[in-house]
Amino acid sequence: MTGLFATGTIVASLAMATWALVHLVLNRPMSRALHSSQLVIAALFIVLAIGGIVQMIGSDRDFARVEFVGYLALSPVIPIGSWWWTRGDRTRVGSAIIVVVGLVMPVLVARIQQVWTGGG
Amino acid sequence: MAERSTGGARLLVVVYAIVAVAATARSAVQLFTRFDEAPVAYLLSLLAAVVYIIATVALSRAGRTSRRVATAALVFELSGVIFVGTASLVFPDAFPRATVWSTYGSGYLFIPLALPIIGLWWLRRTSAAAAGPRAHDS
Repeated sequence: MTGLFATGTIVASLAMATWALVHLVLNRPMSRALHSSQLVIAALFIVLAIGGIVQMIGSDRDFARVEFVGYLALSPVIPIGSWWWTRGDRTRVGSAIIVVVGLVMPVLVARIQQVWTGGG
Repeated sequence: MAERSTGGARLLVVVYAIVAVAATARSAVQLFTRFDEAPVAYLLSLLAAVVYIIATVALSRAGRTSRRVATAALVFELSGVIFVGTASLVFPDAFPRATVWSTYGSGYLFIPLALPIIGLWWLRRTSAAAAGPRAHDS
């Protein structure tokens, strides 16, 4: 769970946030690609959830398993929800929403890793 | 379906939705796995979570009733975070486990304190436009 893929989800989320921030600062209408990138992030988190749960089943360590699965299962809901919420919204608010989501997702990954290592 | 809210409220809705999901999931886990440890704190967390859900839904809809519900939910939240925040400092023994509102939401980067203030400010700022011509009296 502390592997390369988890780091990849953080990098991808931050990249999306930066991309959206550029739109926000330059006051550019949201592009279709930027809007769709939320689904890419969602897909990455679905893979992270499946991978994390498989790793959990293969481990007999004692850690907060319910929390772990809860975080993994709910994290893809955020980019999917924001994708739905920002559809048809080409204004700066739409870009701002994607910035927020892109910044929240790495926090979630950090929290998931904390639970995995038993630190929370 | 009611008309969706517009402008800055749309961002506020997203932040509220994230907090609502986080608070609900967290309190559900607490209630199901270790309710005995701190029933008061965990029930408060659940109550807070429910109010966050109500606030999210109310803010996401444009309309006068929704605005009233949102205002009530936000006032409740602000009172809760101030009351529980103060109580957790004065009577730390009563809160053996942290709630979202303990020490004014410091465990959540003070987001629980900031959100209702921003939300109420926004509702007030936009109330003239939403209430129609009558609101121009003031």
